[in-house]
Amino acid sequence: MEEAPLREEEEEEEEGDEAGPEGALSKSPFQLTTEDVYDISYVVGRELMALGSDPRVTQLQFKIVRVLEMLETLVTEGSLTAEELRMERDSLRKEVEGLRRQGSEASPEVTLGPDKVVVDLRDPGRPRFTLQELRDVLQERNKLKAQLLLAQEELQCYKSGLIPPREGPGARRGQETLVAVARASGARRSKEEKTIIGKLFSFRSGKQT
Amino acid sequence: MAKKTYDLLFKLLLIGDSGVGKTCVLFRFSDDAFNTTFISTIGIDFKIKTVELQGKKIKLQIWDTAGQERFHTITTSYYRGAMGIMLVYDITNGKSFENISKWLRNIDEHANEDVERMLLGNKCDMDDKRVVPKGKGEQIAKEHGIRFFETSAKANINIEKAFLTLAEDILRKTPVKEPNSENVDISSGGGVTGWKSKCC
Repeated sequence: MEEAPLREEEEEEEEGDEAGPEGALSKSPFQLTTEDVYDISYVVGRELMALGSDPRVTQLQFKIVRVLEMLETLVTEGSLTAEELRMERDSLRKEVEGLRRQGSEASPEVTLGPDKVVVDLRDPGRPRFTLQELRDVLQERNKLKAQLLLAQEELQCYKSGLIPPREGPGARRGQETLVAVARASGARRSKEEKTIIGKLFSFRSGKQT
Repeated sequence: MAKKTYDLLFKLLLIGDSGVGKTCVLFRFSDDAFNTTFISTIGIDFKIKTVELQGKKIKLQIWDTAGQERFHTITTSYYRGAMGIMLVYDITNGKSFENISKWLRNIDEHANEDVERMLLGNKCDMDDKRVVPKGKGEQIAKEHGIRFFETSAKANINIEKAFLTLAEDILRKTPVKEPNSENVDISSGGGVTGWKSKCC
């Protein structure tokens, strides 16, 4: 009873191949293993035995054994070659992966033209604003700077007392407003003068009357 | 009535290769100070200085440009409004002198036709490292019919003289008119923003 463990093994490997040794005969020749060849030998041998000891059967048996031996050699050789190829493929895959990784780290400049710049997206200081954005920011900076200088100048005027504080709110607007305020304050001053004179006059007139 | 802070406003522009000392020249003139640390100007900046010439208060708005090529498109848009342009090179840097013709071509292309030009050979305090003889600067200035000074922002040589001379040259060409509503126009494209000054 040699074939029993062999069959069990095969069943495990070939996912429930219920056909037993005969199953090997229905397999695709490209999936044939050495074990399958032995199964086939067993099946063929058993049937030849059943044919009895006719010398023609014996003749045929030698030839069949020879063919099965050839098949065994081919299948063994084939599976070894397949295994070798599989290993070679795996190692080549690894090599390609390694080269790709190296390539992505070092080689981009090689493929770029002379007018291109490489931007490292992981670099926190990488360029990322457009010229127009810079232009706008600079223009705004310079505008604010101009306004600050003007404000400082005006402040200096207040500090040095050249603009009386009460004229402040109006003076901020611009020349026209300032002129208007200046006139208004002038008018106010002359009004005040008038009232003092008026008082004087009224005093005098009062005295006179 | 309040008096204005200035009678005239002149807009000047500093150009030249990166690192020749444009910002230092301006800083010496505006703040009478000097700083050795090199900080490359980003695009365009300006300073204000009021001077008095021939009894007139003249407000100088001086634009300082980045010399680096990458800011070129930004800086050239400021040429148009300039009444005077100072072209600066470094007497210890031969390349900056060779590039003068390039900068002059920029002026021709982008500035007003009647702009007043001036050539400055800066860093003249570093005579031991000089590679551009004074005579070569004088010669190229003469060829183009423009004034020339050797300056040093560090040692404060000819800085004020250069600015005042340029302002005088502009003043000479300026038609006498009312002290007025000149705008300090900070935009390059034309009078979007500005100020009218007054008081004092």
